[in-house]
Amino acid sequence: MALIELKDINKTYNNGQPLHVLKGINLSIERGEFVSIMGASGSGKSTLLNILGILDNYDTGTYHLDGKLIKDLTEKQAADYRNRMIGFVFQSFNLISFKTALENVELPLYYQGVPRRKRQEMAMEYLEKMGLTPWATHFPNEMSGGQKQRVAIARALITKPQIILADEPTGALDSKTSVEVMQLLKQLNQQDGITIIVVTHEGGVANETDKIIHIKDGIIGEIEENTRHTAWGGTIIK
Amino acid sequence: MRELFHEIASSIRQNKLRTALTGFAVSWGIFLLIALLGAGNGLMNSFSGNMEQYVSQTVTVSGWRTSKPYAGYKENRNIQLDQRDLNYTEGPEWEGVIGNVSVATSSQSVKLTLEGRNVNGWMRGVMPDFQETEKLQMSAGRFLNVDDIKGRRKVIVVSRSQAKELSPRNPEALIGQWISAGSVAFRVVGIYHTDEQDFRQTCPIPYSTYKGIYDHTDKIEDISFTVNGPSTLKEHQDFEDSYTGALKRMHDIAPDDRRGIWVRNGYTDNLEMSNASRILSLAMWILGLLTLVSGIVGVSNIMLITVKERTHEFGIRKAIGAKPHNILSLIIAESVTITAIFGYVGMFLGMIACEVLDKTVGQRGVNIGFEEIRMLVNPSVGLDVALEATLLLIVAGTLAGIIPAWKAAKVKPIEALRAE
Ligand SMILES: Nc1ncnc2c1ncn2[C@@H]1O[C@H](COP(=O)(O)OP(=O)(O)O)[C@@H](O)[C@H]1O
Ligand SMILES: [Mg+2]
Repeated sequence: MALIELKDINKTYNNGQPLHVLKGINLSIERGEFVSIMGASGSGKSTLLNILGILDNYDTGTYHLDGKLIKDLTEKQAADYRNRMIGFVFQSFNLISFKTALENVELPLYYQGVPRRKRQEMAMEYLEKMGLTPWATHFPNEMSGGQKQRVAIARALITKPQIILADEPTGALDSKTSVEVMQLLKQLNQQDGITIIVVTHEGGVANETDKIIHIKDGIIGEIEENTRHTAWGGTIIK
Repeated sequence: MRELFHEIASSIRQNKLRTALTGFAVSWGIFLLIALLGAGNGLMNSFSGNMEQYVSQTVTVSGWRTSKPYAGYKENRNIQLDQRDLNYTEGPEWEGVIGNVSVATSSQSVKLTLEGRNVNGWMRGVMPDFQETEKLQMSAGRFLNVDDIKGRRKVIVVSRSQAKELSPRNPEALIGQWISAGSVAFRVVGIYHTDEQDFRQTCPIPYSTYKGIYDHTDKIEDISFTVNGPSTLKEHQDFEDSYTGALKRMHDIAPDDRRGIWVRNGYTDNLEMSNASRILSLAMWILGLLTLVSGIVGVSNIMLITVKERTHEFGIRKAIGAKPHNILSLIIAESVTITAIFGYVGMFLGMIACEVLDKTVGQRGVNIGFEEIRMLVNPSVGLDVALEATLLLIVAGTLAGIIPAWKAAKVKPIEALRAE
């Protein structure tokens, strides 16, 4: 079985006018893949990614993560999966503003009960990997967008997750920084074998990934193999 | 635990205004609680302290002008107690109910003098039983005895504070010395204990001596006695009615005349007073607790607002693995920490306020006509109350945190992340 297996996933938002967003998603993603999910704004990409990350639930269908059915989990179980299996990278970084870069990065380990000393050591190590050692004691509002996103990536990596879910990770960055962030993700995929799923509506960003999954009107459309990265002429243009 | 504290410290540092507001609500609440309880205690101390010296566990009766014509007599007749009344009081009818009986003359103001020092007092001719009925504790020497009465001795018993006025260095040395009371000299035989300081106090001399010098009649002014049996207010009322009824018959006073026989019942006065102070202390507690409850509601409200403001942050925490109980304990611990720290500050200030009250209002006397009393005596709360209040605060902090914490823990991660 693939690392991620979705069968006939349906999701309807019910505040006010019911909105059927995902209309039977079938998808499987293997361990070690580097894929992007592409589609127009409002096509349901974030909804799908949130279900994958167990941040939200789905109505019907089945979702198997690493062979386990993800359905009707308690909040505690869900939190545990998110903490150990999945790392999140968001468009708006989602760093805690009153915590330093170091404190932000070590927070997932706090929820694993790792002792403080060990946590700080590891957080420093990951910040170093991201080239952020001098910024360890800085607060998010003292850093550039690219730096903040690298702090967020360090935080996603610190629990050694199997999957990284990134929702428009370059959405708030300029093209140069966007390229750097995509290079970083590619490197993590190639060197550490982490499965990475990037949601984007930018062709240039999708082109950096090995497989492009198109989503349209709540259904999976074309799935493009893109190992030669030629889908969009190979550049990120903003 | 240390981890949690670190978490709290950083979020408190970040939310200074919020923390200050919450803290103020709590400090104020506990400050008022302590100050109120302290002032209440002071009021009660002064209450019972001031009363104690007048209200002894005794019944005292004396004659009074009648207010109604009866049996051929006109109203406004002067009633004077005599030997018959004393015989009746000591007689078989009240055997086992009326205990020690003593007679006393009325008091007269006197100035005691020794070697240029003087002090005022109320001189009174009494029988030896007076010590028992008035519950006088001797601090030196002895009380008047039967020989003093028989021999019409010129001896006197003074209060400890009077003794201090006359012989400041060594009050005990006063025993055996002759002091003058007006134009007559008396030898001091005893000093009785008293807590009060600057009031005119009774100086007992033998009943017979008083009669011989100041009042040459064989009339009886006052009969005092202790009572066993009646305990409730109603029982005392019944006893009084039945006892004074008999005296009224002997003196031809109308049975329904509210005057004629004057009764001062120390037992009922005490009962009424302890009722009053029970109500006062209850009122203080209710007031204090209401203040505290409003403090809790205040903290709870502010925590609710905080939780709402921090929803997005909790969403982030949940996304990276915080379980509901992590969020729950974070908020409750924060609430308790803030409540406890600021509660402690409030308590400290409250105790200072009690001290200030003691040093200002507490030292000032209030003139109530015939003498000065202190409004507040030792206004303070015990350490036990302060500790109880601290415990209460921690419970309060938990209570205040529970609803907001539960709200925060319950929000779904995706909804929390969407919040801005
Ligand atoms: N919580 C929600 N309640 C109601 N409608 C929602 C909610 N979240 C998203 N939607 C709607 O669902 C559709 C898909 O949203 P989303 O998955 O965010 O799209 P994308 O990420 O592809 O832009 C949009 O029309 C959006 O307005
Ligand atoms: Mg989206």
